[in-house]
Amino acid sequence: MTTVKPILLAEDNPRDAELALAAMEEHHIADKVVVCHDGAEVLDYLYCRGIFAAREQGNPVVVFLDLKMPKVDGLEVLRTIKNDANLKPIPVVMLTSSREESDLAQSYALGANAYVVKPVEFHQFITAVKELGVFWGVINEPPPESSDPSA
Amino acid sequence: MESVTQESPTTPAPIHSEPVSHSSHAPILKTGWLMERFAHWSIEQRVLAGFGLVFAGIVVISAISYRNTSVLIENSLLDTKSHELVQLLGSVEEALGAAESGHRRYLVTGDESYLKSYRATVEQMPEYLRYLRGLANEGAEQRDRVEALERLITSQLKAEAGAIIQREQLGYEGVRHLALAGAAKTEIEEIHRLMTELDTTEQRALHARVEESAGSTKNTIALLGLGAFLQLVLLAAVYFLIHHDVAERRRVAAELQSRGELLRAANKELEAFSYSVSHDLRAPLRHIDGYAALLSKAAGETLNDKARRYLQTISNSAKQMGQLIDDLLVFSRMGRQDMLYTTVNLDQLIKTVLHDLRLDLQGRTISWTIHPLPNVSGDPAMLRQVFVNLISNALKFTATRPEAKIEVGAGPRSAGEAEVFVRDNGVGFDMQYVNKLFGVFQRLHRNDEFEGTGIGLANVRRIIHRHGGRTWAEGAPDQGATFHFSLPLARSLR
Repeated sequence: MTTVKPILLAEDNPRDAELALAAMEEHHIADKVVVCHDGAEVLDYLYCRGIFAAREQGNPVVVFLDLKMPKVDGLEVLRTIKNDANLKPIPVVMLTSSREESDLAQSYALGANAYVVKPVEFHQFITAVKELGVFWGVINEPPPESSDPSA
Repeated sequence: MESVTQESPTTPAPIHSEPVSHSSHAPILKTGWLMERFAHWSIEQRVLAGFGLVFAGIVVISAISYRNTSVLIENSLLDTKSHELVQLLGSVEEALGAAESGHRRYLVTGDESYLKSYRATVEQMPEYLRYLRGLANEGAEQRDRVEALERLITSQLKAEAGAIIQREQLGYEGVRHLALAGAAKTEIEEIHRLMTELDTTEQRALHARVEESAGSTKNTIALLGLGAFLQLVLLAAVYFLIHHDVAERRRVAAELQSRGELLRAANKELEAFSYSVSHDLRAPLRHIDGYAALLSKAAGETLNDKARRYLQTISNSAKQMGQLIDDLLVFSRMGRQDMLYTTVNLDQLIKTVLHDLRLDLQGRTISWTIHPLPNVSGDPAMLRQVFVNLISNALKFTATRPEAKIEVGAGPRSAGEAEVFVRDNGVGFDMQYVNKLFGVFQRLHRNDEFEGTGIGLANVRRIIHRHGGRTWAEGAPDQGATFHFSLPLARSLR
């Protein structure tokens, strides 16, 4: 792991965020995680503006996106990412409580790479988040950042 | 006087008034009767009935108008004849007068030239009389008068001819008294009287006919006016009824639309509600379970058994509530989801269901009896859910049996419906609770006996109802249970 690329976790609920971080802790990938608390913050991160204006350049290795968030909701963030040529290659995993068919259909239609329903049961939740973090953050080879000069 | 009434053989007054009364009263009575019936008639029938009445009215009015006009024409023909007759009578009188004065001058003077006008009259008279007979052929009285006139004229002319012969033979002295008094004094007086009578009668008849024609014309105009008015009234009534019907239809359509909108709004609200349930209710449950797990991990070593059991209970309760929410969401989705109608092969469906449930069958001794099932019309995913729920139930409630017996089969077909049953030899139920069986979250067993949220059979009933079928069950405690449902048969089997 020469280049430590961050995992972006968009989660408005601090408890969910904490539980997710606790799950990733077990595989020592928690320190790679950047937590955003609403959709606007996610976009600020991706475009390096606002509180993230001074962050290191480069796209995250994966975005875990909750659907229901304040300010800008998950589907809106997803639409922005997939409509931006520079952000489009970033894998986006919807991580949500909603099982609604319409959410599933809309997410995939907008170009989501995966859709995961958060299990109620903690062990299942931990397993799911862990596996997701490991797969997207470690196993999966992220897209090359051709337009990024620092890559 | 008698002859006046006899002169007009068509008595116009009653003939005219009768159809008028028909056309004026009958439609009013009919519409009164129709009003009652109208409510039950379709719009097409109403229009037909209305226009039928209008048409009938037009026919009646046309017939009466035609009749009146015919009478008018007939009267005018008769009038012409009457005028001719009066004129002819004048000519005849003039000719007879000329003959009378001519022959008397001859009797006095013996000058033959005075006989010229007499001879002309004699010559013309048969022609005049023939005309007279032709003109006076209406009314027996007038004919009798003409006949009498003819006889008298003939005898006058004969008498005058006799006087002329006497003058020729006897000279002036022989006919002196005749020349002074006239050869046919009595006939001439009688002729004059008859002619006056003929003339008066004809004039009277003429006058009566003129009055009758005027009356008939007035009648016709009034009738046409009344007819037009009636048609207008009828058309207005038909228009009103059609308008009423159309307005009613519009009102119903508008109401349906507004109700549809309300329903859509309610459905949308329900969707938003279940979305909220799905998303927001699950999060705190996840947190309860998550933090309980984190706590037991962080402090597990220091906790005693009691405290560990409490933590486990917190965790279990959160899980159970999560399951309840999930089930409720599925139930709600089953009610809202769009249905996909196709022909479903139930034999095939049951095979896949048993294949999917194979994990639950491990370590169980089950004797399956699967009879051939019909093809039905329905949504395959929903019907699959029905069989999953019913067979899962059968498996669950036979868990205490050393050998579970589960039978799936088709009941008798009737009127485009298929009947399917799932029977087991499980713990069964008391028939007095049969009404609770298909209710949401209704359970007949304690949770420590058999697990479950009580939503399975409610889903079965909801799905079957949405297909237009029925569900029912029978059973007895410890004697097993049988669940039935009916479904519309596939079109090819109906």
